[in-house]
Formats: sequence, structure tokens, C-alpha cells
Amino acid sequence: MIWPALKLSLLVVSLATLVISVAGTALGFLFAKRTFRGKDFLDAIFTLPMVLPPTVTGYYLILLLGRRGLLGKPLYALTGWTVTFTWIAAVIATTVVALPLMIKSARAAIESVNVDYEIASCLVGKNELETFFRITLPLASRGILAGIVLSFARAFGEFGATLMLAGNIPGRTQTMPLAIYEAVVAGEDEQAKWMALILTGISVAVVYLTNSLSRPKRRR
Amino acid sequence: MLDARIRKQLGSGNAQALTIDVTVRLSSGVTVLFGSSGAGKTSILRAIAGIVMPDEGRISLGEMVYFDSSAGINMPMQQRKVGYVFQSHTLFPHMTAEQNALYGAKLDSRRSARERVRELFEILAIQNTSARYPHELSGGEQQRVALARALATAPLLMLLDEPLSAVDVSTRSRLLEEISAIQQKSRIPFLYVTHSPSEAVRLGNHMMVIDAGKIVQEGTPLEIFNAPKTAPVASVVGTENVFVGKILCHNSEDGITTVDTGLCRIELPYNGMLIGSQVTVGIRSEDIILSREHLTQTSARNVFPGKIRSMITDLDNVEIVANCGIDFKVSVTKAAVRKLDLKVGSDVYLLIKARALHVLA
Repeated sequence: MIWPALKLSLLVVSLATLVISVAGTALGFLFAKRTFRGKDFLDAIFTLPMVLPPTVTGYYLILLLGRRGLLGKPLYALTGWTVTFTWIAAVIATTVVALPLMIKSARAAIESVNVDYEIASCLVGKNELETFFRITLPLASRGILAGIVLSFARAFGEFGATLMLAGNIPGRTQTMPLAIYEAVVAGEDEQAKWMALILTGISVAVVYLTNSLSRPKRRR
Repeated sequence: MLDARIRKQLGSGNAQALTIDVTVRLSSGVTVLFGSSGAGKTSILRAIAGIVMPDEGRISLGEMVYFDSSAGINMPMQQRKVGYVFQSHTLFPHMTAEQNALYGAKLDSRRSARERVRELFEILAIQNTSARYPHELSGGEQQRVALARALATAPLLMLLDEPLSAVDVSTRSRLLEEISAIQQKSRIPFLYVTHSPSEAVRLGNHMMVIDAGKIVQEGTPLEIFNAPKTAPVASVVGTENVFVGKILCHNSEDGITTVDTGLCRIELPYNGMLIGSQVTVGIRSEDIILSREHLTQTSARNVFPGKIRSMITDLDNVEIVANCGIDFKVSVTKAAVRKLDLKVGSDVYLLIKARALHVLA
């Protein structure tokens, strides 16, 4: 049960991290740069998964996406397919739980960029999009990278919400943390130990790699 | 060509509340916006550039309407075609000097953009900085690159916000000359914000004095510095008399350097500067002595006959403008005015010690 769980975890986490990186940066930009009605409310909603117990987040996701859920019901009626108890549900649950970390990091990173650089870019004729990609993003890259690592770590350890929405089906929705839990409960200590070590090893490697990549470049 | 009427309330309610209410018109050459800090100079530049929106008014450059509150027009800053040079530190830190300058250069032809940037770097004598990053450049080099970045976009108007404030004194004079040369070459109007009399006099064809958000006097810089019309202007421009001249000759034995202003010759302490080079000389109005008769037995190296043009009484002081070829501000007490019976039109002699004259950076 180690290999399928590891494979699934890697698939779920990389997809979730990809979605989180893009969506989190975009939302971070929105919160950092724009003023609009309901901004504080939206901010609170997106922060909620960070403060709620993951099982509660998972519960809300069932209410939203379950076969009888707010969005799940029309989807089921239309296609006869439901997301619950699929590996996609694991991706969704993981994404929702880890997204707030990315939004917060990206927002802080974008806000830390001196506005004068962005103004200078606009003054030489560049539109907002080009200014974002060529000025803001490169200058905020370290904070954004840190956010990606944080959310990756959070995603890799995701347990509660995934269990609620995707269940714990070996080979289909059982990710590493779930497999470890099951191994411990079943008294298979040897397996639990190895999985815990693998999980730890991967996390340490990723954090170490990013740290060394994001170290400030030597001055030429 | 630039016609701007701007009204804007700043920091309403707090101690620094200020209402800007100005009409700025400039056609060619360098126009200096002069004022102490907090007078609203930068806000005027930012409104013209489109960084901030005025509450009310109309800004246009030639045919282009930048802003019109009554017509609901507010052109985004990308389309205004202004070159903007900040006080300091706005070069993109992750790009080399050349990449910075190329960043805004027109995209229609990469090659010509590169050529244009190379040419600008040559004029500004910064070819050697091309491959270096902003943090590896001196303050003067950074501002030259910033100038190149702004000029590479082929702007129709240049706005400069105290561009020399972070540049060391020894570089300022050369950079001033370069800015002046670039302006003459580009033939577009420059609006230059500063609180330095020396920069204003050296660069400005025209000057506007800003005080508390309003324009309090307009004219040529020398005219304003040496003959402020009202007490508020006098307090903004300071008590310094400022004039430009060329080094005529030195007499190191006597410790004297003679400067020719075109209208009179002035002796100041020996400074060893290159003969023929341009200098800005200052003297504080309280350091000039007025006399009704021509004194010959005096240690003052400069004695000029003149006529009183105007008198402003301000608390205990009387600010007199006396003309002796060039205008001098002279600050004296009310007692002196009474004793010498000074009036507008009175003939006087101005006594100026060489030691009281100093060369401005």
C-alpha cells in the first residue's frame, strides 16, 4: 500500500500546488492592489480554511459538491457524475485547505514591492498586465516562492478535508497521510514508519531545494 | 504647449492639509517649479503625469487632453507620453542599466530602440554601465540611466522631480549641464522641480515659485531670486542673492578670484576654478552693507553704486532690492532705513566683502 499511496499523493499535491500557485498569486494580487466592495468579506471567506478544522472545511465541501450539494446536485443531474470519492475530490480538498497560505504570502510579497517601480513601468507606457509580469512578479518572486513551498508542505500533509470529501479508498483516494493513519490503526508499525520517513524526506528535500534556489544571487 | 489647471485637496482633515490650486503653462525650454518641501511641487508633477487625479481642472498637452474634470476625461498614464524622473531609486533592480533603458523604448523596431538607447548612453557618458545592475551604480549614474529610460520612450514632455537630490555635490554641476544639453537637443518642454536656487538659476528659462499649493510668483529665476515681489516669496526663495557668472581671472597672491556676470565684475575669495567656467555665486542679503556716500577707504572689495528699486517691510526687517546692473536683495533694519532716509529711487552704494560671497554647488 506504500507505492499507490505515494503515487497518488504526488499526483494530488503537484496538481493542487499548481492550481494554488496560480490562483493564490492572482487572488493575492487582487487583494493587494484592488479596492472593491465586499473585499474584506471575500478575504475572510478565503482565510476561513486556515482557521477552521479541516474536517469542517471538508464538511462544507460536501455540502457544496456532494451528490445532493449546492453545485454537486445540478452537476449530477447533468452528467450523472459526482466528484466525491474520486481522486479529483482529493485535489479539490487539498487545494481549498492550502490556498489561504498562498494568498497571504503572495499578497504580502506583492505589497512589499515599492509602488514607484510599478508607476515607473506604467509611465514608460506599459499596461498593467505587462507591468505585473515583468516588474511586480520578479520583484515579489522570493515571497511568492516561499508561499508555494508553504502551501506544498501544507498540501502534502492534508488529511481531514480529504478524508471527508474523497474518503479513504486504497489505490483510489488514499493519500500518504491517510495510509499512515490506517497502517497505525491496523497495527502495521513497520509500514507506518517507512511511510512517515518517506513523507518527511520528501518535505525536507523540497524545502531545502527551494531555500537554496531562492538564496540571493551572488553579486556579479 | 502644456496647459494645466489643477485643483486638488491633499490630506484633508490633518495637519498637513493642503489645497493645490495652480495654473501651469509652459511651451519650451526648462520651467522650474521652485518651493520648499511640502509646498505641493511633487503633487503637481504627479497630477500632470496621471499618477494622481486632480479633484478639478483641465490638463492638456498640445492637442492631447490628459484630464478634464468637466468632460470626464482622465487619460491613463501609459498614453500620456511623458518622461518622468523620480528623486531616486526607481530603476528596476532586477534589470541591468541597458535593460532598464530598453524597457520602455518603443517596440516597433527593436533595432532602432537599441540604437536610440546606445546614443542616449553615449550622450550621458554611461556606456560603461550598460551591463551593470542599479545597486552597482553611483547616484549620478543611476539618475543618468533614469534619464535615458525616460527619454528612450520618445516623450513629448519631461517631468523631473528633484533628480539631483540623491546625487553627490561634485557630480551635480555636470549632470545639470547634461540635462540642459539634452533639453536643447530634444526640443521638448522640461518641467523641473527643485528647492535648490543654484539648480533653478543654472537650468531654468522660466520659474514658478510654489508656496502652500499656490503659485506666488513667476518670472526668470534670477529676477525672482534677487527681487521677490512679496514677503512670502522672499521667505520661500530665502535671503540669498544668486547670480551666474564666468571666472574671469585669479590672483592667488592677493587671494582673489574675479567673476564676470556680464553686468558687473565681482571679487570673491580665491577658488582656483578653471578660467571661463560657469559659477553660481551667492550672498546673503544681510551680509550687504548700504551706504549713502562712496566709501573708498574700506576693506570691502566690492563697492557698487546703485538705485533702490523696491522695499518690502517685514516685521523688523526691510527687504530692499537695489539695482546696480544686477539686482541685489539687501536686508536692513528699520532704524537704518530711517537714519539713511531710504526710499524707492534713492541712490546708494552697496558694500560687499569678498569673504561674504560664496560659490554655490
